[in-house]
Amino acid sequence: MPDTDDLATSLMNDMDPRLLELIQTRINSFIKWDLVRFFHENPHTTDTADSIARYTGRDVRTVEPELAQLARDGVLSMESLSGMQVFTLSNDSDTRDLIDSFIHACDDRQFRVKAIYHVIRCLR
Amino acid sequence: MSTNRIPTGILGLDEMLHGGFLGNTANLVEGAPGTGKSTLGMQFIEHGIAAHNEAGIILTFEEFPEHYYRDAANFGWDFHAHEAANRLRVIMSSPEVTRADMLRLNGQIEMLVHQIEARRVLVDSLSHFERLAESPVELRQTIFEFINGLKRLDLTAVLTRENAALLGELPDVEENLAFVADSYTLLRYVEIQSAVHKALLVLKLRGSDHDKNIRHYEITGQGLVVRSRFEGTRGIMSGTPTMTHAEAFAAAFLPSDKQTG
Repeated sequence: MPDTDDLATSLMNDMDPRLLELIQTRINSFIKWDLVRFFHENPHTTDTADSIARYTGRDVRTVEPELAQLARDGVLSMESLSGMQVFTLSNDSDTRDLIDSFIHACDDRQFRVKAIYHVIRCLR
Repeated sequence: MSTNRIPTGILGLDEMLHGGFLGNTANLVEGAPGTGKSTLGMQFIEHGIAAHNEAGIILTFEEFPEHYYRDAANFGWDFHAHEAANRLRVIMSSPEVTRADMLRLNGQIEMLVHQIEARRVLVDSLSHFERLAESPVELRQTIFEFINGLKRLDLTAVLTRENAALLGELPDVEENLAFVADSYTLLRYVEIQSAVHKALLVLKLRGSDHDKNIRHYEITGQGLVVRSRFEGTRGIMSGTPTMTHAEAFAAAFLPSDKQTG
């Protein structure tokens, strides 16, 4: 008889493998999820961690490391502009397409439940 | 400066401007909250795209692009469709980043302007630049630099500026900004006989004559419409005008059906 944890995992893994990998490796926190959604809605925004924290209604101390990690993972671009560190959505078309697929998949409640399950597992 | 006209598409305003703003200029629109500054700017962008196939950019500071899409939709302007057709970009960034981006070579704004061949820009609003400067002189310098960046990209700009005064005397008008802008349009609430009206005045249009009358305007389902000039009152721009002597006489002594205005 299969382990219930294994069963749940196999059910929760039932999604586009590219999206599963994206969640497990790059959008692996709820703050990153919010940030990715923000940049998806505002694809031309370039701004500092301070401003992005304000736009997303979060504390900059929480947001800044997550922005930096998203930049290291290639979801965002990070650069220095007149002494400010600024972030923008990656220009890479594959990355943008993948994020677009993720955001649209989130319209589906079942997908969201699975994505939340994986994010919580990543946070453990 | 070129002499080609860039129509705003706003009924009555283009007539006041003798055809529209001059090309490659910075045009300041100032008014209290709710007077329609952003609507005027969006209409300028919409008209460019819909009537002249001129792409546009909206630079917004701390106002989410989604708000523009929603507000535009209320006037029947489909900004989402314009974005999808590469005729519009709505860019939200802080003023400090926008300024720095404008100053650098091949910045993101410059890239987007070239990408969609934008000819018009709405900057909403310049008031946010005030936090970048510690003095009026520094503010003027900062905005002058920014405006020149827009002109370098061959854009015709509408720049909005908030004015806290709803009615009554205007607080100190920032003369420095009026100097650096090529045109200066003032939107005001006016109280006449216990009703609030809206008044528009083109104070300045560098390089061209223009209508100096103070006109009524309305925000309709299709955007701003500028109507006839105010008659029979003086001190309109104070927000609380009084009747002229002739009107006061008429009001006091003539039957109401004989009164003018």
